[in-house]
Formats: sequence, structure tokens, C-alpha cells
Amino acid sequence: MASRPVLDLRGVTKLFGGIVACKDISFTLPAGQIMGLIGPNGAGKTTAFNLITGVYRVTAGSIRMEGEAITDQRPDRIVRRGIARTFQNIRLFRNLSVLDNVIIALDCHETYRLGASFLRLPGVRRRERALREEALSFLGSVGLQDKAAVRADAMPYGLQRKLEIARALALKPRLLLLDEPAAGMNPEESLDLARLVRRIHDQFKLTTLLIEHHMDVVMALCERIFVMNFGVQLAEGTAEEVQRDPDVLKAYLGEGFKRAQHI
Amino acid sequence: MLQYVFGVISLGLIYVIATTGLAVFTGFTGLFSLGHAAFFAIGAYTAAILTYFYGWNFYLALLAGAAAGGLVGFLIGYPTLKAKLRTDYFAIATLGFGEAVRVLLENLPITQGARGLPGIRGDTNLPVLLVASAIVIWAAWNLIHSRHGRAAIAIREDFVAAEMMGVDIFMGRLRSLTFSAACAGLAGGLFAHYFCFIQPSMFTAYMSTQMTAAVVAGGMGSISGPVIATLIFIGIPEALRVANIWRLVAYGLLLVLIMAFRPQGLMGYRELSLDLFKGWFRRPGKGGKP
Amino acid sequence: MFFQTLVTGLAIGGIYALMAVGYSLVFSVLNFSNFAYGSIIMLGAYIAYFAMVKLGAPIWIALILSIVGAATLCFLNERLAYSPLRKRRASSLFFMISAMGTAIFLENLVYALIGAHFYSFPEVFTRTNLSFHGVAIGVLDVFAIVFSSVSIYALHMFLQKSRTGIAIRAASYDIQVCSLNGVNNSALIGLVFALAGALAGVSGTFLGMKYIVYPTMGWITNKAYIAAVIGGLGSLPGAVVGGILLGVLETFVSAYVSSVVRDVFSFSLLVLLLLVMPTGLFGRYLEEKV
Repeated sequence: MASRPVLDLRGVTKLFGGIVACKDISFTLPAGQIMGLIGPNGAGKTTAFNLITGVYRVTAGSIRMEGEAITDQRPDRIVRRGIARTFQNIRLFRNLSVLDNVIIALDCHETYRLGASFLRLPGVRRRERALREEALSFLGSVGLQDKAAVRADAMPYGLQRKLEIARALALKPRLLLLDEPAAGMNPEESLDLARLVRRIHDQFKLTTLLIEHHMDVVMALCERIFVMNFGVQLAEGTAEEVQRDPDVLKAYLGEGFKRAQHI
Repeated sequence: MLQYVFGVISLGLIYVIATTGLAVFTGFTGLFSLGHAAFFAIGAYTAAILTYFYGWNFYLALLAGAAAGGLVGFLIGYPTLKAKLRTDYFAIATLGFGEAVRVLLENLPITQGARGLPGIRGDTNLPVLLVASAIVIWAAWNLIHSRHGRAAIAIREDFVAAEMMGVDIFMGRLRSLTFSAACAGLAGGLFAHYFCFIQPSMFTAYMSTQMTAAVVAGGMGSISGPVIATLIFIGIPEALRVANIWRLVAYGLLLVLIMAFRPQGLMGYRELSLDLFKGWFRRPGKGGKP
Repeated sequence: MFFQTLVTGLAIGGIYALMAVGYSLVFSVLNFSNFAYGSIIMLGAYIAYFAMVKLGAPIWIALILSIVGAATLCFLNERLAYSPLRKRRASSLFFMISAMGTAIFLENLVYALIGAHFYSFPEVFTRTNLSFHGVAIGVLDVFAIVFSSVSIYALHMFLQKSRTGIAIRAASYDIQVCSLNGVNNSALIGLVFALAGALAGVSGTFLGMKYIVYPTMGWITNKAYIAAVIGGLGSLPGAVVGGILLGVLETFVSAYVSSVVRDVFSFSLLVLLLLVMPTGLFGRYLEEKV
């Protein structure tokens, strides 16, 4: 069944005054694929995420989701279309409970009316109960069901990251953007996370775009990789192709590596 | 003596209605409205004019006052919230708005200007107030515990993250503002028919200040907190016969001290404020489970 | 008429510029609107007034006392009310509430202790008007223009040439980087507040001389906020330009249209600007890093 790509970027450019954050970025993400977005710090990866999710407006170019333009749309509209993201620096609702964090995400697709809220009609009460249960099951899928009543910022870092992911899942997206989900984790935790992402991908059939610096996670998960540097595309291809690409090696490891190779 | 106590309670309940609305706005979206007395005034004048000049039914006039307040809140909120003003500039804009309403009220012929409107029917009494405040508190509580309330809380907590959770920031804030303005309008209508006389100079920054102070002291993120704080703010100074001026000195100092030592106010940062009461009554060690 | 209005406008503009610069100093370094600033200005006016009336001091001494007094009070305000919040890394909402509380506290303390009388400064100048090409110009206005210009120029030199001044300018860009570079942030912030206070002393004194001294005169700082927005938030030169522009525009509106409309005009201008051109004339490009 030929379907339109979940995500399609063409010529996406973002300038901040004189600074070029992204220039002419183009790639296509077919349904069901996990793609990695890698590059040195400052390469423009998070900017790309921000452009896709509508946090920043593009200076030029277009972004399409399943064939429909989402360029410059309001972030909350884009989320409701089916794109969910996590943040590089966790942005949980710190003072709220773990469960409430997930329920707020579930609210995204909830539709009972304001008037019904004021009067707390029986329909509302039913939906509220259902929301709580659904939230608990999402917490269960990342192993956090026992922490439902805990304050979000009272949890250890690794679990907060998992909550970020659970929250993103609760948005029931068709496209998941993960911004350095393994940041600050040791190799064992990173592998654990990689397994979690793989499991989520398989279970929910989620097209995923992943920014990561932990190369073991990237190579293990990603079918395709897009490499950026200084805001422009450096390379694109499968994990093996990218690992052998000379431009990529130079950007990550520097000229010295090449020279050293020849000794 | 009993009459006096009822009087104090009545005044307290009028303010509870207005403050509950403000608690939903400031406490849950984190924006300040320094001109909220203006909505109060609009509700008061609308209801009073309708009963005095046009002989309207008291309850319908109250609804009209609430609707007027809400409508103006919506109209003011639309451009200012669309502009995504920072908290402090939004507050300043509301200040300007309050000023503009005062100027308007002093210069429109139908409001009889600075002289005020005397001779309003005294239809407000304690039972009416008890029912009205119960309804408002109940509605506010329902709102907070619904998806609309959670959206407002999310906005206050982290509006960037809230947007990423699909929350429509603008509508969430506008809804809260409209609700709080309508509550203030309702309170204003009740006020007018309690004192039987209103003039523009009664609706001052003092009133807005007291309401905001009650929300902060009661706890932003709770409904019960501001209700209690309002009753304390009205009740204790009355009991001690403290002059208005010293009350304000105390409010000011209180705000500074609360921010320095207990920013979460009386009830704390809980959106499920009644759970706290349940917690107080729960027996030590989870009751029931072996 | 035109020329007279212009001179008056420039004089008011100069005072607004002083207030706007004082406000922007704090805003650019701490990123919050110090709502208590108006009450410092008010206290500056009172200090100058009582120095002249009770101590019989000449205007120069009164001005110096006002500058020193206001600077001290502003500094103390920071140390007592805002430092604890800074140390806790509280959100700007809490700073705002604390500032509001301080303003309410100070204003009403003055009200309660000194009373609501309006005080008029004694005549300072032997001749109230100069004659220039047949047009009467207020001597006070000329003095205000001269003094504001001198003060602002002095501040400018300080910020450009002295080490501390450069540190302040650096802090206005990124205060955390400053402390990493060895700047004592606490001391710097204290100094910034003291400077803002000094400016408040000057503007308060001139405001008092030009108009009247009364407890709520601090609300005039709303004009400072508007001026800061016109000039561009976070920009000191912008504050100066904004202040002068606002003063001149307002005075013309007041003279040629109506003085009642004057304040409504200014607030409307504020809302309009924030909707249409929020970065003002010289504002910096501020987009939040996500």
C-alpha cells in the first residue's frame, strides 16, 4: 500500500538575524521508519525539531506531514495532527504528579465541551475515569505505573526521561520526535532506553525521528541516518553508509583523524 | 449584633464570588489582572441600571451583570492575550483597562457619573449570597477538575510544554479570563443590590489589590485557599475595627512576606485542593488496608 | 502655544526618560518589571519635600538627600524582598507579586503615617517664566530638561567607560555568564538597584516640584513602562527616546485634545504597540530557546 511519507522537508531554512541555524534541509521519512538525526552540537538538529513542531517559523522551505503542509502552523495544532516530541532538557510539569502529566497529554484528543465541564455532567465523570485508567496504562507501558502519585520532579532523572516518553505516547502521535532521549545516561541505561524505543516503535507502529549523540543507540535503532553540521546536510543514508562517509568522519573526528589514519 | 455579623459574612461572600473567579484566572493561568475591579463595576452598573431604570427582575439582572462582565472580559482578553504579552505587561495593560473603565463610568450619562446611582433595590440577602457563592465555587471546582482546568494549569506551569501537549494557550487563557470576569460581574451585581448605592470611586485598585492578595495568600492553584483567605481578609479587620489604610499596609507586607517565605500560600500548589482536607481527616496509616 | 507645549512636553519627556531608564536598568539585568519603582519615586519626592520644608534645606541639598535616600531605599527593597527570591531562582511571577506588595505597602504606609494631603513644593525659582521670543517658558521645565540630560549623560558615561558600568552592560545580556567571569552578581545587582533609585530620586523630586506630592504619585511609573516599550524593552537608549517621545506626544494630546483622554491615550498606545511592534524602536530580538 503506497502511502505518503509521514514527514517531508524541502529546503527548510531558518535564520536568526544573521545566524544560519538551518539551511536548505530536505529529507523524507516514510511511514514506520526510525530515522536518526545526528551531528555535532549546534548543528541545527533541535532547531529542525522546533521548526517541524511550529515553535519557530521557517525563513524558507516547506514541511509536510502525510502530504499536507504544516509549515508555520501553531504548535498545538501540529500536535493535534499527530506529532509528539520530547525535549532535550526535560520539560515536564514539575509540580504536578506523574499521572497528571500523562492525563494532560491525553486531554489533547478529548472533546467534551466547556459547558459540560462546568456542570460536571455524568458523561464528563465517565470520561474522567476513563482518562485516568488510560493514563495508568501508558505509565505501565514504560514501567512507571507505581509512581503515578509522585511529583514529577521528585523522580530520578532516568525515570523523568521515561515519563517524557510516556507523555509523548499519550498524545497518540503518528510521528514521534525524540530529542536526545538518552542524554545523561550511562551505557547500560542507554541500551535500556534503546530497547524501550524499539518496543514502542513496534507496538504502536510509530514513525520516529531521533536526535542522539550516543552512537550505539543510533546505530542500533536507526534504519536511516541524516547527518547535519553547521545547519546544512552533511550526509544521508543507512548506518553503514554514514559511518564510512568521509565528510561525516571529518566533522565528528576532525582532520587529525584522517591524517592519523595514513600513518 | 447578629445583624452585624451577617453583614460581614454577606460582604465576605460577595468578595468570595469575585475572588473565586480571579483564583481560576490568576491562580491557574498565572496571569495578573490588576484591573479586575472594572469587571466588578461593570456588573454592578449593568444590574443596577436594569433594575432601577427598566424594572428588570433581580435574578435576570444579576445574570445580565455577569454576562456583561464576561463579555467585556472576552473583548479585552482577545487582543491582549492574542498578543502573548508577558505577565508584567499584561498586568499593566489590565491596569490601563481598569483606568479606562473608570473614566467611562464617570462620563456616561446613564451611570450618572461621579455622583453615582442611589436608591437601588436591596434584593441581596444572605440566602441569595450563600446559594450564589456555593454555585460559583462548585462551578469553579468542576472547571478545575476537567480537561479545561488542566489545560489552564499546564499553561501556568510551562506554557511551552503545554503547547507541545496540544493545549491551545490563547483559548485556555481567554476562557479563564472570561469566566473570572463573569464571576466579578455577578459579584458586582450582588454588591450593588446590597449597598443600594454605587459610584465609580468605589471600584478602585484597592479592590483589585485585595482580590489578588487573597488569591496569592490562599494559594495559586487552589479554590478553597482563596475562599478562606478572602473571608479572613474581610472578617478579621472588621472584627478588629481596623481602618482601610492599615489593611492595605498589611496586604502589601503580607504579599512580600508570603513570596519570601511561603510562596505557595495557605493551601499550597495543589490543584486538587479538597484532597488536602480529606488528607487531614484520613486516619494515620492508610485506613482499611491490612 | 506650540512652542510652549513642546517645551513642557520635553520637560515631562525628560522626567519620563529618567524613570524609564531606571526601570530599564533593572529590567535588562533581572528581566522583571519592578512594580515597586513608582513608590521609590514617590518617596524621593517626599524626602525632597520634607528636606526643604522641615529642614529648611535649599533645593540642591534636598535633591541630593532625595537621590541618596531613594537609592538606599531601592537597594534595601532589593536586598529584603527580591534577594530571597533570586536565591531560590523563583519565577518572575513571584518577583512581580513581591514588587506589587512592596508598592502597596509603601504607598499605604505613607498614607497612614503622613496622611493623604497633597503637598506643594515651595517656590524654588524667583521667576517662574522665561521669555523667549515672546513666548513664556517655565524655568522649572528648563531645569528639568537640563537636569535629566545631565543625569542620563552621566549614567551613559558610567556605563560606557567604567569597569563596573561595563559589568552592568554585560549583565544585561547574560547575567549567568557574568558570574562565571568573576563578577559578584549580588553586589552588581545591588548597585543596579541603587542607581535606579538615584534616578528615581531625581525624577521624584522634579515630579513633585512640577506637580504635587501625594502618596499614590508612584502610579506615574506606568508611563515609564510605556516609554520602555516604545523604545524597546531592554534597551537603555530606547528608554530615553521612548520617554521623550511619550512625554511630548502626551502633552500635545493633553493640550490639543483633552487632559482626561491623556492617560487613556497612553495606555492605548501601549496595547497597540505590544500588538503591532512589541520590540519597539530599539528592542532586542528575543526568542526563547526551547
